[in-house]
Amino acid sequence: MTDPIDPQAPEAPEAPAGPYVYDYMAAPNRQVVLPKTVPLPSLRTYQAEVAAAAAADEAKWQKQLADFEVAKAKAEAEGKDAPKPPVRAVPRKDDNDLKTPWPTEAQDADLLKLQELLGGQVEEVFEQAGERVCQVKKEAILEALKVCRDEPSLKYEMLADQSATHYPAAKDFAFSIVYHLTSVSRSRRLRLRILVPEGFVPESACPLYPSANWMEREIYDMLGIRFANHPDMTRILCPEDWEGYPLRKEYPTVGLGQRDIDFRDDRGGVLNRLAMEKAGQMGINLKQPKAD
Amino acid sequence: MGVNSPTALEHVLITTKVEKVINWARASSVWPMTFGLACCAIEMMAAGASRFDFDRFGAGIFRATPRQSDLMIVAGTVTYKMAPVIKKLYDQMPEPKWVIAMGSCATAGGPFDSYHTIQGVDKVIPVDVFIPGCPPRPESLIYGFLKLQDKIMTSSIADRYKEIFEEVG
Ligand code: SF4
Repeated sequence: MTDPIDPQAPEAPEAPAGPYVYDYMAAPNRQVVLPKTVPLPSLRTYQAEVAAAAAADEAKWQKQLADFEVAKAKAEAEGKDAPKPPVRAVPRKDDNDLKTPWPTEAQDADLLKLQELLGGQVEEVFEQAGERVCQVKKEAILEALKVCRDEPSLKYEMLADQSATHYPAAKDFAFSIVYHLTSVSRSRRLRLRILVPEGFVPESACPLYPSANWMEREIYDMLGIRFANHPDMTRILCPEDWEGYPLRKEYPTVGLGQRDIDFRDDRGGVLNRLAMEKAGQMGINLKQPKAD
Repeated sequence: MGVNSPTALEHVLITTKVEKVINWARASSVWPMTFGLACCAIEMMAAGASRFDFDRFGAGIFRATPRQSDLMIVAGTVTYKMAPVIKKLYDQMPEPKWVIAMGSCATAGGPFDSYHTIQGVDKVIPVDVFIPGCPPRPESLIYGFLKLQDKIMTSSIADRYKEIFEEVG
């Protein structure tokens, strides 16, 4: 028997079988847009940016001047009036505008002391919005933490927070790990920072600050940075069999790691138990794992 | 004898079905489990406290163990890590048992259309009443609970197990 439906007619979409299943592949929040910039606050980058902007401004002004000279010579040759000379644009200043807290040179005694004690291990120190930041070499983080904790004039007794960020657009590193230190006795805070490339295993801060234990596990869980000498380097928030590291920028909001949990067929485990019993009566051991 | 005129015996006895009595007893003493997952749990606690007083409906005794409770109010976001725990707690509850999915998180994932959240607790356990809202006010929870009481009152004891026996065959 032939199908009476005209083959040219558009086919009706096939009705989905079973319960509605979210189409993760088509979900808009599955698409990943990787950032193109590295929004890492840093004095050196800021200074380079300022210098580049000044150079660009100067080049523009020189070009305007040169254009004016050419136009003037041309007008003279043609016997016309000379064109108006260019005016250099002055950046508009608005005192009521909110001030962006740009990074500034380190003035604070703590930072200078740290720089003096660590010497070449320090990559960069600066202050921004009243916060002290010290970036050290990634191999020297344990030494820097030890100095911060044990040096009597610093005395940062507490590791208040430790976190990391993924910068996929950066060339010579992939993650920044930040240690927020608090000195309870001196009411002060300090931020230590290291930049690590993909696959680098930094030293764990656990021997110095026990509070680093869970925070490092969270960093490992969310970003996949492993820490050396950590007592228990396992996932802390995600299930143990999770795939991927959710806080990496290439991780989609929906999709990776997501799975369809559906055990509602089995009301209260009755079916399972009965099936086991029945199979047992028939001599089949359902509890044995299948080969595939 | 007319159909509507009671017999001499019925003047002193009230006759009813056993099923009705059991349903009435079940509907008026539903013990929920102490089980909150996220912000919706605050509203559930408010419903249980004196202003809204869940106790008026016989549901004020929040049991601390699934083995003593009849009702699981899933109040909050169900994450993938929590799903097996919910399933286990549900399995530990004795029959008859009911589930209320409270809030948009428990009904459909809510604002968390994301990698870590189950898009509705009905993927894990069977749900009797869904309450929308983020969070639903205690009134909504009470309304949902009254709906559940209606459901219990109209349910037949046999119905509850028919599905299972049909599925098993
Ligand atoms: S539905 Fe809203 S209030 Fe309730 S748990 Fe989800 S986010 Fe919180």
